Formats: sequence, structure tokens, C-alpha cells
Amino acid sequence: MTHFFRKTLLSASVSLAALIAAQAASAQEAVFVMATNEVGAPTYNPIKATMLNTATGLIFDRLVSQAADLSYHPWLAESWEEAPDGMSWTFHLKQGVTFHNGEPFNAEAVKAWLELFKAAEGENAYMAEAIASVEVVDDHTVKFVMSRPEPNLLYNLSATFMGVVEPKSFAALGDDFGVTEAYGTGPFKLESFTIGQETVLVRNDDYTWGPAVAANHGPAKVERLTFREIPEDSTAFLELKTGGVDFLLSVPADLTAEVQKEANLAILTMPGQDVWYMPINVTKAPFDDIRVREAAAKAINQEEILASVFGGVGAVADTFLISALPESHVSDGAKIHYDPDRSNALLDEAGWAMGPDGVRMKDGQPLKVTLWTQSDSIFRRLTEVVQAQLKAVGIEAEITTFDSSMIRDQYKTGEQQLAVRSYNWDNADIVDWFFGGDRLGYPNVSMFNDPKAEELRAAAMTGSKNMDERVANFTAYHEYVLTQFPMAPIYQPVQAYAYNKDRIALPEKIDASAFGASAFLDLEVKQ
Amino acid sequence: MLSWLIRRVLMLVPVFLAVSVVIFSILHFIPGDPIDNLLKPGSSPTARAEMEVRYGLDRPLPVQYGIWLSKVAQGDLGTAIVARRPVVDLIAQALPHSLRLGGFALLFSTVVGVGLGVIAALNRDRWIDRAIMGGVLAGSTMPSFWLGLILMLVFSVQLGWFPVSGARGWQSLVLPVLTIGLGGTALVARITRVSMIEASARDFVMLLHAKGLSPLRIQLRHVLRHALIPVVTILALRIGWILGGAVTVEVVFARPGLGTLLIKSLSQHDYPVVQACLLMLAMAVMLGTLLGDILQAAMDPRVRAALA
Repeated sequence: MTHFFRKTLLSASVSLAALIAAQAASAQEAVFVMATNEVGAPTYNPIKATMLNTATGLIFDRLVSQAADLSYHPWLAESWEEAPDGMSWTFHLKQGVTFHNGEPFNAEAVKAWLELFKAAEGENAYMAEAIASVEVVDDHTVKFVMSRPEPNLLYNLSATFMGVVEPKSFAALGDDFGVTEAYGTGPFKLESFTIGQETVLVRNDDYTWGPAVAANHGPAKVERLTFREIPEDSTAFLELKTGGVDFLLSVPADLTAEVQKEANLAILTMPGQDVWYMPINVTKAPFDDIRVREAAAKAINQEEILASVFGGVGAVADTFLISALPESHVSDGAKIHYDPDRSNALLDEAGWAMGPDGVRMKDGQPLKVTLWTQSDSIFRRLTEVVQAQLKAVGIEAEITTFDSSMIRDQYKTGEQQLAVRSYNWDNADIVDWFFGGDRLGYPNVSMFNDPKAEELRAAAMTGSKNMDERVANFTAYHEYVLTQFPMAPIYQPVQAYAYNKDRIALPEKIDASAFGASAFLDLEVKQ
Repeated sequence: MLSWLIRRVLMLVPVFLAVSVVIFSILHFIPGDPIDNLLKPGSSPTARAEMEVRYGLDRPLPVQYGIWLSKVAQGDLGTAIVARRPVVDLIAQALPHSLRLGGFALLFSTVVGVGLGVIAALNRDRWIDRAIMGGVLAGSTMPSFWLGLILMLVFSVQLGWFPVSGARGWQSLVLPVLTIGLGGTALVARITRVSMIEASARDFVMLLHAKGLSPLRIQLRHVLRHALIPVVTILALRIGWILGGAVTVEVVFARPGLGTLLIKSLSQHDYPVVQACLLMLAMAVMLGTLLGDILQAAMDPRVRAALA
């Protein structure tokens, strides 16, 4: 009886496993797991949404594509010219492009789309704010008349939020656009969408207008893509391990080693868009003294953190911006590197003498500060290392942990002294966001409000006529901020993806800033 | 009986009001601002103010509460701040999944729990009783998210019998049902056992034995019937708890439902959705309690008589 029972169990498990494997391995169909920070994106409406996921970029093409080196290349626009004074841009559109519902993509469609974009008055409207009006020059040429020069226009036009929607259905469907139906010109069409659960896309067989940065301009090689939303990283990993899914669009640093242990799994890394840093509140003693700020900043040993906390994956950060941005190329003197001798000398000079217990003292007071962090395990680990590094130069930091969803509100109190944070953005205007004098508390956690910085900020944000000027202005602004030590840069992670290499064949080169439309066009499923 | 029922239902009104005040105010007193999550780099302070007006967040709290309550009474749960859809739609999408999961978990813990309780009671103080009660104790002390992961590792990763996560077909329901159901099984088994042992000591049981009925028949037909009264009450009370308990399990198994919706909305500070989810869970507890009382009244002739 026992033998029979065991045998039945065994054969049942073998046949069930085979059935599940057969389901996952069906031809030219791949199952992806959405990045954990994209879980719960409520709509595929790029105009109105404030949160969009990877699949959005496959439904809606953009006028311009961005390469891995953050340079701009043709997509729906074949070419473009900017007027010398920056007050107009002319875009020449590709011919023969159609939307998923059969409507033609032409100059009229671009004009109608941008009018909808500007009329939406949502939080994305700022991206097109400098475009005063759109003129149809001919069927495949549009001219954007600008209210002021906007050198950042190409960046905005390459963003997923500026994916071109089909204007007629957009107007007709109202709030259902992006939920029940969504029409763009992208390499995949939306078949079904269940919020927080699953999105199914099917190949657009007519697609031949892929971005210049992709090797394959269309149609895509995979027929059908399923995107599942799994909020738990460990669950997503088990799905990948058991063959339930083929690709994870995010892998946390602590799971990469687990993935590498599996023979059939592999990790793909791409340049990251995150920077980890330690904001320093310039208004709170002792950090109102720039010497103490510099000492704290230069006590951070970025190389050690890279090796011990992040297993050597990624790169150290020595400015506030990701190193792919030209505005990160500040003078060597402005870069912030680990220099314990300088830290010690500065603290001595500021009157903080080393005490017998390894904590510096001044006027009978120990150099004790607070160090805020958020509850996620990786933040806690990193913060403990930062705490030890500060201690090495005589600064005793006491860690306070806040729930990740609550910490922003804590910053608004302005009570923080030091903190460990990260941001994700690939444009230099992030310096304005985190150090603008009108955003004290949060996002300006450093409470930095400096007249010279504000002048440089205004020039960078609205005073640039073209891209070269913008880069120069932002570099100057960024460099000045660095010399005032309102923060210490720590680490730049890579974007890590995990996939089943028995199932997925990746293109040799992915020339894009993220795993998006160009990668999906080139990707193949092994038979 | 009818007047008792009406009184009992009316008693829910002040309870509901008290719960609604708590749900509404807790969310507004914890730090966190939904607008923060909606604004991106580059947004102006005027955009922020406009959004606050749009969602009524600029008004005094009591006014916000009054508006919210009157709308809830009309079945309007508001519009989700992040999803920008009617909250009713989101709840309608999520609720059936949670009810299915909770329903099966309840069924599982009832059938298995009563069964184990009966076996343990019939074998009182023998090894089989101790084994069942020991196992049941272990089951009830295990945190559900941990139990879920263990079940996943054994049945999905090692044996490959069931999918790791998701909500496709009956296979994906098995492990989540087991995870939630096992905790309830422990409770039901213990109560069934204790009340069977108590009922066995009653005079009418002695009379049945004296009449010459077979011991098994006495236990299953007469004793069990008595013993089930507290079990039914407990089961009804558990309706709300099972829906609440599904919160972590849904997240671990990446299933749609009230729990997933609640957690996501909490992290996004989407007040209207969180309020609606909490309200649903609170109502499930209230209705479960009501159901428990009614069932008890219907099953226990003494209670029925007292109410008549």
C-alpha cells in the first residue's frame, strides 16, 4: 500500500511538473515579472499616469530614442532641427506608420497628441510646458513653436510619459484609455490588463519602424509577452527557478548570488540610474560648519562600501549625478572622495578634539549626531557601515530607522542631521529637485539654501538656449553644490535583471538606458 | 426572536460609526501624504495645491469625514488617488478573489478541523490525541507568511506540484488555502475536541449509553451535534479574520485580492482605497459576528428560548 501510494505520488508529481514546464515553454511566448518598483501601475495612459511600467514603453513609441550613452536617436521622428535661438524645433516624421487601431500616424496626429498632453494639466504637463504650439508643416513634418528655449526637450520626448497615444481613441475612451484599451504605434499591442496582476501584450505584425538604437526594426521576434506583477522578490525568484516565468525585470542585490547558483539562470546588468548618498543637513549644528560637513563627507569610504555591501557590483559615486550624464564631469577638485586624513585635520581645525573613547569633543560636548535611514534591509546594512566609517574619524552617529513610506514626512520636519538615501533619475535637473531652496525638508533633505547656488540653478533650469549651454550651466551648478558639501555621494548600482538562459536569447548589445523597446525587439525565445 | 434580530442588527450601526471614525482618523494622523507620491521632479507648488483641492485634502478633517461617510452610505467609495478609478471598481475586482480564497480556507479548516477534533476526542489521552493536538499546536503557532514560504519550497520548488504564485486555475489556490486554512484548523480542532469531551460528560449521554446505543453512534450523532455549537460560532467569527489573514498570504503568493490592494494602497498613501479596504474587512468581522450570534440562536434551543 505504502509502495503504491509513493509510486502514485511520484508519477503524479512528474506529470504535473511536465505539464507546468510544457505550459511555460510554449513557442515564442515569454513571461516577464515586472520590476518590484513598477508593481501596481494602475494604467497604460502615459498622459495621465504618474507611474508607468516597462510594458508601457512597448505599446507607445516615442518621437526620439535614447542610447546607452544618453545620446538621442531617431524613432518616430526620422530627423529634427532646432532653431539657432532655441525658439522652434522641426521634426520630420517617419512615413507608413500606423497606430494599433489602424489610424495613420502623421503630423496631425502629433499635433492632436501634444494638444491632449498639454490640456491634461496633470503632473506630466511640465514636460511639454515650453512648447507653445504645434504647427503642421506638411503631412510628415511638424514644427514646435517654443515659449522659451528648452534644451531638455529631446530628453522629455524620449521619456515613456511622452509615448505617442492615438488621439481619437484617447478622446473617445476617456478614463478607460489605458485600462480597458490602449492604442499606440509600438511593437506590441495591449491584449489584456488586470491592475496589480497581469498584462498580456501581443506582437504588432505591421511594425517596421523600430528605434535607431535597436538592431531589429520590427516586427518583434517574440509573439506574445505576459508581464506578471509579483510584489515579493523571493516569490518572483522561486517562479524563475521553477520555470514559471522566464525573466525578472528587477533583482535585488541580496538575491543575485542565489540566481548565480542556478545553472539555467543568468544575470544581465545594465548601467543604473540610481545614486545612493548621505544628505547632510546644513542648518543643524555641527553641520552648519562647512568644515564638519566636508569631514563627514570625506569619512565615507565608497570603495569599501562597494566591496562589502554591494559585492563589488556597480560603481562608486563621487558626484551627485550618475556618471553617464555629461553634467557629472565636474573638476577633480569638486569630486568627493574618501580622505580620512583630511577629515581628521578638518575636525581638529573646527575644534573637535579626539576624546579617549574615540568620540571627538568640543566644549565638553561629544560629537554625536543622528543618522536616519529607511527600513528596507539594504538601507539598514549600508547605514551600519556608514555609521562605522563616521566613527573611525570620531563622529558618533546614532541610527534612527523609519518606515520607507513614512520617511519623507519625517524629513519635512527638518530635524535630520545625516541620512542615507537613494534616488533614481537620469537627468541633471535632479540637482535642482534635491537642492532647490524652495523645497526645504523634502525633497531638499539637506535644507540647502544658498544664494549663489540659487543663481546658478536659475541659469541651469531656464537660462540655457541649447544643449551645450544647458550642460555647461548644470555642470557649474552641480559643481558649486558639491563644494558646499550638503551631501556625500556613496554608490551607483547597476540595473540587474535575471533570466532563464535556456529560454531567452538576449541580443549581443542593448544600446539603451534601460531594458525597453529596443531590447524587446531584439530578444528571442529559444524553441 | 424577530425583535431580537432587529435589535441585534441595529446594534451594528453605532459599531459601524465608531469603526468608520477610527479608520478615517488613523489614516489622517499617521505621517504620509498621498500627493507626495504623485508629484515628480519638476512639479510646481501650484500643481500640488491643485491636487489637494481636487481630492478634497485641503478641507478640515471633520468636513472630510462627513463628506466621506455620506458618500459611503450611498455606495460611493470615492476615486482612487493613484489609480484614478472609482474605488468601487477596484474593490469589485479584488473582493471575489479574497472571498474565494477565504471561503475555501474556511471550508478547509472546518472539515479538517472538525474531523481532527472528533478523532482526538474519541481517542482522548491516547497517542493519536496527543499527536493531533501537538501537530495542531505547531500549525497554529506558525506565522502564515513563513508557512506559505515553506509550503512553496516543498510543493512548488521541490515537488513541482503547484505553481509558485499567481491566480491561474485551481492549482494556484491550493497552497494559499492551506496556508490560511491550517491556522484555523488548529483552533477548530481544539474547540471541537474540548466541547466533545465536555458534552460526553453530560447526563443525556449517560442515558443514551444506558439505552444501549453504540458508543460511536452516540458520539457522532448526539455528542458532536452539541459540540458543534461553539465551533459554528467560532467559525462565523473567523470570517472577518480569514479575510484579514489573507493580506500577507496574498502578497506572498502574488494573488489579487483585498490584501494586495490594501498593502499597495498603504505604501502609496492612497487614502480612499485604504479606507475602503479596511471598511470591507471591518464589515466582514461585524457580519461574521452577527452571523455567529444568529446561528448560535438557531442551533441552541436554550438561547432560542431565552430570546423568545
